[in-house]
Amino acid sequence: MMGIFRLDPEVYRRHKDEVLQLANSFQRIDRRGLSDAEIAEKLGLSERVVTEIRCVAERDCYSLDEWEKAIEFKDRACREWAALALKRPDLKRDADG
Amino acid sequence: MSDDLPPGAAAVLKSAAFKAGAVVCGIADAAAFDAPAGQRPADLLPGARSVVVVGGAQPRVGDWAATSRAVLETMGTTERIQSVGRRLAQLIESEYGYYALFVPPGTVSGDRPFLSLMRAAELAGVGTRSLAGPVLNREHGFLYWSAVITTAPFETDQPEVESACPAEPCREMWARQGTTPCLEVCPASRGGCLEGRLENGRAVRTFYDAPRCHTRVHTHWIGGFQKVLEETLNEPDKDKRKMLLYGDFFTRTLWAVTYSSTNIAQCFECMRVCPAAHPRKELR
Repeated sequence: MMGIFRLDPEVYRRHKDEVLQLANSFQRIDRRGLSDAEIAEKLGLSERVVTEIRCVAERDCYSLDEWEKAIEFKDRACREWAALALKRPDLKRDADG
Repeated sequence: MSDDLPPGAAAVLKSAAFKAGAVVCGIADAAAFDAPAGQRPADLLPGARSVVVVGGAQPRVGDWAATSRAVLETMGTTERIQSVGRRLAQLIESEYGYYALFVPPGTVSGDRPFLSLMRAAELAGVGTRSLAGPVLNREHGFLYWSAVITTAPFETDQPEVESACPAEPCREMWARQGTTPCLEVCPASRGGCLEGRLENGRAVRTFYDAPRCHTRVHTHWIGGFQKVLEETLNEPDKDKRKMLLYGDFFTRTLWAVTYSSTNIAQCFECMRVCPAAHPRKELR
């Protein structure tokens, strides 16, 4: 059976953290993110495999809970800003309540 | 730069960009991109000589003051500035006879763009990187960007020497409190995305959590869709599956993703508080 290119979950588990670090997904000031080709060369993998590991890992970093937290964060920050910019302290209280 | 182009070709191009709705337009040398192989202009268009960058279509003052996050989540689209980029690509090919490749707004793989528009804007002299991340124009602040890679050897602009970030109020806040508005609103140490400092009046970003930023900037987008889909496939209970698929999160995500070929930014909190990012006009 052909189907689309599918990454071996075991290969993913083995290299996920390393790929994320080398791609600089969690960016540190003193590090340039490497391209997939550069990571592939470093880890002895094919570029296609590295691309797949990176794509899956980018999604896999956080659970769905983080998306809910994003909504809560934006709701709160948005109302706090509106209260300040529009001089309407009641808008911030809505957020707190 | 070349005898092949009529004198003043770059100025004509910029004038067309402004007429089409851009608020800034600059031209970068394609060879100046210090990106890894595969992420440079010539990797997309062999023989690339310059990269035309346009910025504009920024949120209005009212958008920044909206009390609902959903407003900016919906209004923050790149489509208006993309149309300017497409128009310039057409003009370069029809008027000057050079290849012109409109840089697609999507991603080449995962979350990686075809070309860093932020780097392009920096090299084209129309913006500088902020502590929070986005490139800011000194006059207009936060803008959306679009770019065209071309084999036309347009006269290029130079990167700006002075940065829009940090703004004076941020320097004062740093001296007073050891933080800045963007670091205060989204600190990595308290569940946010950013870490940094001001050093000799310069902004230095020391850490950025791109995956977390993604959950905020693209809450209702491809990632959110995939996450709910995964949760649904793993959910054995039929009624619980229904709650996930018909609920507000997934519905809103579908509204967003069906804006095909448009990149919809959905978090602006580091920019909303940034004094350099947008005018604090007192409107009625």
